[in-house]
Amino acid sequence: MKNNKKSNIAAQLTCAALALPGLMQTASAGRVEETYNADFQYGNYVESNNRMRVDIFESALSAPIGKSMTASVNLVEDSISGASPVFNSRDTSGKTVQVKSGASPTSSCGKSICELRDAISSNLAYFFDKAALSFGGGYSREHDYASKYFNTTGSLDLNKKLTTLNFGASVAFDEIQPSPSIWNSRPADFRAHKTSQQYLLGVSQVIDKNSLVQSNMTFGYHTGFMSDPYKWVTFYNGNVSSDFQQDKRPNERFEWAWLTQYVRHFEQFNHAALHTDYRFSTNDWGVNAHTFEMSWHQPIADGWQVIPRFRYYSQDKADFYQPVFAGGSADYTSYSSDYRLAGFGTLSGGLKFSKEINELQPFSQLKFQTGFEYYAHKAEYQLGGNNQGTFANFGYYLITASFNLKF
Amino acid sequence: MKLVNRCLLIVLILSGVACTEVMPRQRGNLALSQMAFTTDGLEFGLRQHTAFSKESAAGGYGGGGGGCGCN
Repeated sequence: MKNNKKSNIAAQLTCAALALPGLMQTASAGRVEETYNADFQYGNYVESNNRMRVDIFESALSAPIGKSMTASVNLVEDSISGASPVFNSRDTSGKTVQVKSGASPTSSCGKSICELRDAISSNLAYFFDKAALSFGGGYSREHDYASKYFNTTGSLDLNKKLTTLNFGASVAFDEIQPSPSIWNSRPADFRAHKTSQQYLLGVSQVIDKNSLVQSNMTFGYHTGFMSDPYKWVTFYNGNVSSDFQQDKRPNERFEWAWLTQYVRHFEQFNHAALHTDYRFSTNDWGVNAHTFEMSWHQPIADGWQVIPRFRYYSQDKADFYQPVFAGGSADYTSYSSDYRLAGFGTLSGGLKFSKEINELQPFSQLKFQTGFEYYAHKAEYQLGGNNQGTFANFGYYLITASFNLKF
Repeated sequence: MKLVNRCLLIVLILSGVACTEVMPRQRGNLALSQMAFTTDGLEFGLRQHTAFSKESAAGGYGGGGGGCGCN
């Protein structure tokens, strides 16, 4: 009786600790795969205002090795074309307008940006009775950008596997070699580097037989070249343009994020599941951001599932961001007019369908999924409001289709 | 110690979280595919990569992949 009391108190304390910022995570240890898996995915990303379009082709394979290991490999190709915002200026009435890279009839795709990104990554995971370890690495290449990265994760089951502690570390080495372009003023042999590190500490916890919670804290540190080599900044004295310079950002960034995910099962709604995520992140460039996401996974019949979802995101502007700057570049140590460093909010929503077929020889399972999502980026969606105007607003849609084979 | 316990109690009440002992045989609902924290790994990766290239926030989800010269 006394022991039961003690373990109840311990369970309550563990649970309470989960609610403390910083003790929770997302990358769960997972369990050893007993089947061979092959996944294929196609994605179609299209931005409004004739901006970027990306076609994504991805495949992933994983296989069990013995009874305790899983090896996996993942290949991606992104085919990118279109135009991108380059700088902001003022029109004759003093209103800020955004200028995009235009069409380029001489380029291979007829647009100002034609790019292929190829990436490969692999992972090896080892599962112990109450723990798991994984090691991975990858390489991503575009004609002006290359990145190689390594990561490791660990997990430890505690409290009769009701609690799992998660740990992770990753490092990435990037090399930037901007392409010749009217928007690149640097010499042809210019090369720059960036190094990123990220560390993760988290906990996942079974709350009861119908609900789970997971919480992660990550610390990131980036150093090196973080400017955008194709973006520019305009400076004005009153309404007269006084200077025009390439984007210039600090060469160091520290960031911290805290994510909590909650998943709940509803037996009365045909075993539906509710997923809710909230993430707060902040960095020393002055950007604080809130992300809230929710989805409802509704099984219907015959292996069909329908999944509506909603996401809201809001960020503050970076300390060195302005749509256009006053004075001259010599007055500032860093400056950027990149819309991604502005204050804004986004709303997105989508619908996804999945169909699972079991025991269709020779496969033990086949799964088909397709989804559509629309995303709207607007200054006025920023938490607390924003009066920067509508010049940087845009939207995109993303269509995905995939199938998964287990055998 | 009293203060620590009091803080933990407050957090527990505020969060509305209450853990109960769940035996392995009672975990059938938790093992359903729709109850996984990440239900579709490939799509999750793609959506994360898209958000990362259009927004300044990063982290929380772990993993950590390569950067990109995202436009």
